[in-house]
Amino acid sequence: MEVMTSDHQVRSVNEDQCQMCMPLGGVIAFKGIEETMVLIHGSQGCSTYMRLSNVEHYHEPVDIASTALNEKQTIHGGEANLRKALDNVIRVYNPSVIGILTTCLTETMGEDLDLMISAYKHDRNLQGVDIIPVPTPSYSASHTEGFWSATRRIIEHYARATAETSGINIIIPHISPADIREIKRIIDLFGIEYTLIPDYSMTMDRPFGGNYQKIPPGGTVPADIARMPGAQATIQFGLTCPEQLSPGEFLRRKYNVPLFSLPLPIGLKNTDRFISVLSELSGRPVPEVLLLERGWLLDGMADAHKYNAEGRPLIYGEPELVYALCTLCAENGATPLVVASGTKTGNLETLLSPILPDACEKTIFLEGTDFAAIDQAVEDQRVNVAVGHSGGRFLTERRGIPVLRIGFPIHDRIGGQRIRSAGYAGTLSFLDRFTNALLEMKYGSYRQHCLEETRGKGGY
Amino acid sequence: MTVTEVHIDEMMTPYPDKVRKNRKKHIIIKSAESAACPQIEANTRTIPGIISQRGCAYAGCKGVVIGPIKDMVTITHGPIGCGYYSWGTRRNKARSDDRTPPEKIYTNLCVSTDMQESDIVFGGEKKLAKMIDEVVAIFSPRGINICATCPIGLIGDDMGAVAKEAEERHGIPVIAYNCEGYKGVSQSAGHHIANNNLMERIIGSGTDPRTEEFVIYLLGEYNIGGDGWEIERMLTDIGYTVNCILTGDSSYEEIKDLHFADLNLVQCHRSINYIAEMMKTKYGTPWLKVNFIGVNATIQTLRDMATCFNNPELTRMTEVVIERELARITPALEKFRKICNGKTAFAYVGGSRSHHYQYLLRDLGMEVIVAGYEFAHRDDYEGRDVIPTIKTDADSKNIPELHLTPDEALYQEAHLHLGLSKEQYDTIAAQVPLGDYEGMYPIMRVGRIMVDDVNHYEAEEMIRQLKPDLVFSGVRDKYISHKMGVPSKQLHSYDYSGPYAGFNGAVIFARDVADALVTPAWKLITPPWEEKNGNRSDSDA
Ligand code: SF4
Ligand code: SF4
Repeated sequence: MEVMTSDHQVRSVNEDQCQMCMPLGGVIAFKGIEETMVLIHGSQGCSTYMRLSNVEHYHEPVDIASTALNEKQTIHGGEANLRKALDNVIRVYNPSVIGILTTCLTETMGEDLDLMISAYKHDRNLQGVDIIPVPTPSYSASHTEGFWSATRRIIEHYARATAETSGINIIIPHISPADIREIKRIIDLFGIEYTLIPDYSMTMDRPFGGNYQKIPPGGTVPADIARMPGAQATIQFGLTCPEQLSPGEFLRRKYNVPLFSLPLPIGLKNTDRFISVLSELSGRPVPEVLLLERGWLLDGMADAHKYNAEGRPLIYGEPELVYALCTLCAENGATPLVVASGTKTGNLETLLSPILPDACEKTIFLEGTDFAAIDQAVEDQRVNVAVGHSGGRFLTERRGIPVLRIGFPIHDRIGGQRIRSAGYAGTLSFLDRFTNALLEMKYGSYRQHCLEETRGKGGY
Repeated sequence: MTVTEVHIDEMMTPYPDKVRKNRKKHIIIKSAESAACPQIEANTRTIPGIISQRGCAYAGCKGVVIGPIKDMVTITHGPIGCGYYSWGTRRNKARSDDRTPPEKIYTNLCVSTDMQESDIVFGGEKKLAKMIDEVVAIFSPRGINICATCPIGLIGDDMGAVAKEAEERHGIPVIAYNCEGYKGVSQSAGHHIANNNLMERIIGSGTDPRTEEFVIYLLGEYNIGGDGWEIERMLTDIGYTVNCILTGDSSYEEIKDLHFADLNLVQCHRSINYIAEMMKTKYGTPWLKVNFIGVNATIQTLRDMATCFNNPELTRMTEVVIERELARITPALEKFRKICNGKTAFAYVGGSRSHHYQYLLRDLGMEVIVAGYEFAHRDDYEGRDVIPTIKTDADSKNIPELHLTPDEALYQEAHLHLGLSKEQYDTIAAQVPLGDYEGMYPIMRVGRIMVDDVNHYEAEEMIRQLKPDLVFSGVRDKYISHKMGVPSKQLHSYDYSGPYAGFNGAVIFARDVADALVTPAWKLITPPWEEKNGNRSDSDA
């Protein structure tokens, strides 16, 4: 990848990457569909690594099967392994859906999955199991695009022209299970029916329940996905989602479902937009409890502003979350000075520029970047607080900059799946964390200053 | 609870016939204490669709063996994911010392060529070459490793040629490892590929002989959580010169002198036995199988080492250190032992740990009822005696064997390395595991199970049937057992704890295990409104 560093040098080395690979995003999307197993077509290493990354973040069992190709199959093709793998997955897991994701290896081999699957279904006379293949070559995109691609393919697979329903569609980017639950709670308050996809809020964050099941209950129901074309509208939190991967765009083009492309409801203004659309679509006034929550948030924002203005944030991670967090920080007086993503959307700067205040300092935007470039920008911009996933932990080690963990992956702290930042209430919990990080720093160095003053500079 | 064939058959009912037949060969129930180990199937292909805990050759080469070499930059040649996933997942610690200043340590780096579609189509050699130049310009490391991932083999990039040219341009070693993930059947293939390259390219290139006494190298120790440093502490106190921990906290600077060793110690047999054997052939260096996991095991190993050198002062100091350490740790260990005593455990890890940790668990009064390796070979279960009878198959044939001959200038007989006469050496070799490993089988008790390449499904079923008190595994299956109400401890990364080796490590391990066993949450599962009279689940039983 050609990486633009802040001094605009072009480098070919990717040093300490900021993104993960495409099938990983696909796995998470499939985990949000009811009764689904995921199978990765490639060597076993990819699936083992992806399980590791997911498990370290979600702290849940994450079953991902592999077709386990060896050297021989790289020459003779992977069909026999694919068939064996399907047999075994069906016998052991008894799933209703099998999502198959390709890897760089099988994409390079040029495996024709559609053909192999239809032959398999025919030979086995397969009933009651839907097999959905998604091409996910990591050399062309990151886990973010993998997530969107898989979500769109799942919808394409099930969607049927249906009679109009009274419900709406909600399409989410890769966010925490806690945020999914918060979004669902808010919609429920309006009493509208909806289909949220992909809903991994109960499959990737299971409450302890004693009885362990191989495929955890929960997830979007395929029959509901089939009816998505009949919905009143689609709300998609996907400003940064490329059009050709956009599930909401697909429903709009093919079935004329009106599309509301909204930012994630993180931050006051973003949440306002979501609530307005919900109110409009449901024809109901905003429920009292949300007004209270909005009030608490406003109150908190007013309290915190005097501290937040001292924040010089770096915000990095998956583009959709980065966008929302940038607006949140900006509306609290902490203008983001470095905005970065390992994913290349190409539109973060265009989207964000209008909402960033005309400050004298210019924000640096880095897309498709790595942490070496981020680190350089952090130094140039004198960043003092970072917001993003665990990949940035070196900023604390090397530069003493606190990293407010949010997004994926969070493997060096617990509770990544439980971080709630959506809605007014979620925004307020994030804001408090943000402000307190600045306060902690302030008091930390304040004590240091006092010490230096009483002792005289340089100590006794 | 003793395990019978019936349990195993029951567990395997959902498998298709072929899979059942295959998997049965990977499972052995120990029947009589004295009997020799029946043949176990190991190091064969993973079954597609059955979730194995195994990784790929790239993971074994880059992630395990090569990655920790601290003063070399390791480049992952491939798409972004492979490199990302192997970044900092092993907790192999490294620190600066008199041979390696802090600015020459690169273990925290993750460098990838991040192949794009056009590179896949037109080849990635140019990009790789440019990247090497950049790495040299930015970091000026002492050497560079390049590890291949799956697509590289397919598109046919000639990494060797790129490396050779770069070497000429920059005057530092640039080593290409053809460790494409699909090679072999697990990470084990990657260990072998890494061993071969280290042997061919680095070991033996140092030219200043070591002048210290009792120079040893600790092979197959990856310094997870600082294990290697704890071992080094004891050995230094006794009077050994620990020249290098390979590859945890190792440096290019040290590895090139490996041939000056008086004795090689082998901790993880699976991943490093190739180097140990090759060095025996080429330089005559003897190797000793050691185990620093467990108090009694550590004592045994220290005594074995002293036996090898047959030096009165070393033998005396060995006993002094053992006595000192025991006096220090016994009270703390006793405290935790009370909690652990009588508990049962499963151990599913790697290619050595499931064996090593059984000693430490026995020290704590615990017993392992099911033990398995992810990527071991038959000799790791049955002992090295079976090696000549292991058949090579299509997968193992793909990993080149180096055919080495004794080095004309440097080879000397094993006994001379230890400063012994031939007779003395032979007597000693009969007493200690010099050049030998007996495998896991002897430590297993009757009615206990050994299982190779245990999969997600089997692990789960065995936990259900046998209800161990604790499961030792990797993070990938950790949460299955949690969901089933059985605590689990990671033995790959130690759940961010450690060290677990040696005397201090034993206490830390005992503390962590005791903590896991008494976690209050496990006793609070049933809410009060569901408790029957006199059946309180939150009592301090
Ligand atoms: S592509 Fe190959 S090398 Fe990379 S993680 Fe997958 S199996 Fe390993
Ligand atoms: S080969 Fe591709 S799919 Fe597999 S781990 Fe590497 S980047 Fe990901």
